[in-house]
Amino acid sequence: MAAAALREQLNALLASMFASGLVDEQFQQLQMLQDDGSTPGFVAEVVTLFCDDADRIISELAALLEQPVVDFDKVDAYVHQLKGSSASIGAQKVKFTCMQFRQLCQDKNRDGCIMALAVVRNEFYDLRNKFQTMLQLEQQIQAQQ
Amino acid sequence: MEVGRAEAAEGVTRVLVVDDSPVDRRVAQLLLSSSSCAGSFHVIAVDSAKKAMEFLGLNLMDGKGQAVDMVLTDYSMPDMTGYELLKAIKAMNLLKPIPVVVMSSENEPQRISRCLNAGAEDFIVKPLQSKDVQRIRSCSTARPNKGSAPCEAATKRTPPPPSGHHAAGGAASASGRRGHFAGVAMILHSSSAELSQYFPLLVKLVLLAYAVLCLGEILHRWSSGGGGGRSLSL
Repeated sequence: MAAAALREQLNALLASMFASGLVDEQFQQLQMLQDDGSTPGFVAEVVTLFCDDADRIISELAALLEQPVVDFDKVDAYVHQLKGSSASIGAQKVKFTCMQFRQLCQDKNRDGCIMALAVVRNEFYDLRNKFQTMLQLEQQIQAQQ
Repeated sequence: MEVGRAEAAEGVTRVLVVDDSPVDRRVAQLLLSSSSCAGSFHVIAVDSAKKAMEFLGLNLMDGKGQAVDMVLTDYSMPDMTGYELLKAIKAMNLLKPIPVVVMSSENEPQRISRCLNAGAEDFIVKPLQSKDVQRIRSCSTARPNKGSAPCEAATKRTPPPPSGHHAAGGAASASGRRGHFAGVAMILHSSSAELSQYFPLLVKLVLLAYAVLCLGEILHRWSSGGGGGRSLSL
């Protein structure tokens, strides 16, 4: 496929990610920094780091919430971490869900936390899919040049 | 305490980034490296305050550590917080103070003033953005490159605001004023090495404080001196 058509696909994907609130201005800033040219592969790197980190945190959260007695302080600490890293790369939807999740932790609401984890997981998987498509398109475009 | 202080290469600012989040460490590192401003950052990143202490040689009696131009640390970290690290760094480096900038995802006025009062050069609310890079640069002790072009990102030179620029809008002006004076005190304290750099700011702040006090005095006398004479003796 021609580079121009790939580029169009990529732009459309990015536009839809912004429009749906999946990512925000922070992500846009990181993209712009990459486009400035001094650090190519910037976005791919932090996106990959974020996905690995989020994956790890979500597993830890699942394990913690399965315990007969839930340690809400530990749960809150992990959610705080996830909130922080999602804010740093501009993963807006995940960030907002984490904020609600933290409130449920503070209320020591076990069922609420389990539901919030399910929501965060789904949103993260959705975001990860889009990121993977984005990276594939970028690689294909690079290959054409 | 000997801390090896080899002359920094012209224009290179050595920053020690301390953050337990791998994503935030990398974002900080990349933001600082990709800065389009003149003068580059050399970034060392560690994932805990304890490792930062080891790196700086702060946990040994003979303190042989690496030299850095500044420390950029996250506030909330497990085991030892950025605040505790800040205090440790300020306590151990009285002869050659290392600037410390604290970053946090929480925009909490109390947290901000606590850090500034403990001697932090600045407090930045996360997520870290490219506009924060110039603020960070201006806090370091590295000599700026003499022949460097002015930074594109900053439209004007912004000296580090003493009261924490990102403080929540609802913060009472009283605490802002306290932060202001704490900032002046802090600047006086840390000015031993860079007096010439801070002098214009210091003069401006002193004049501003004096002007505010005079104005307050005048208004007070104006409003309460209606009956008696109008003599103003300050």
